[in-house]
Amino acid sequence: MKNIMIPLVLMLTVSLSSCTDKSADKVAGKRVVTLSTTPASRPYSPAVEAGNMLFVSGQIAVDPVTGKLIEGGIEEQTRQVLENLTKVIETAGYKRENVVKCTVLMTDITHYQVMNKIYMEFFPSEPPARAAFAVKDLPMGALIEIEAIAVR
Amino acid sequence: MKKIITTQAAPSAVGPYSQAVEVNGTLFISGQIPLDPSTGKIISGGIAEQTEQVLRNVGAILEAAGYTYEDVVKSTCFLKDISDFKAMNEVYSRFYPSNPPARSAFAVKDIPLGALIEIETIAMK
Repeated sequence: MKNIMIPLVLMLTVSLSSCTDKSADKVAGKRVVTLSTTPASRPYSPAVEAGNMLFVSGQIAVDPVTGKLIEGGIEEQTRQVLENLTKVIETAGYKRENVVKCTVLMTDITHYQVMNKIYMEFFPSEPPARAAFAVKDLPMGALIEIEAIAVR
Repeated sequence: MKKIITTQAAPSAVGPYSQAVEVNGTLFISGQIPLDPSTGKIISGGIAEQTEQVLRNVGAILEAAGYTYEDVVKSTCFLKDISDFKAMNEVYSRFYPSNPPARSAFAVKDIPLGALIEIETIAMK
């Protein structure tokens, strides 16, 4: 009976965790965080946790439902990026306040002020350390990409 | 507290940096470009070959430090040309077939020695 119960419990655990938005696999001490909207074909995880540290992949202004870049300029894209970032952080069980470092990549440095305005809405007090700069190009023609490290 | 990782199985540094630095179970690997460790020169070939060489160099440093690809938690991929994104992904996914690291990828203006790609890596165990 005991031998049957163990696989049953395992199966239950697996099916329960797949019902939530978070599927976490413990591999070599790291926990991979995925969202229900994450395409399986992607060679990167939305976030990886090791110990009490969360590495969030660079987010671009993709609509999570359509998988396409949203319409709009730097203001709309920055907001979408930070919403996507928040979604990953919260799915991993962290809060935005746990973010210690962000890297902001833009395709045009003149977007700096507008980006900052939206960014401040998401990090209104004690904001993370940050580096921000213009790069040549971003995937899918995005205007902005933001990656983050959180610690709890 | 910090340990400098040095291996001849990966290209020597081309500037004032260590191949990798380990501290408290975290390994910071310097950005790798597609240098052949034996010649110290950029290999011939396009983005697929260069991505493969970069990730082999990463693997050699991981191994020298006692880590594996499975321990990698974060990569940053710098491309010379964003149109190489897809071809880079195809090679990249062979090195990280499951539970891949978090990653950011983007095109920069230039990479040292005229390389098409540079990848920096953080591993933890």
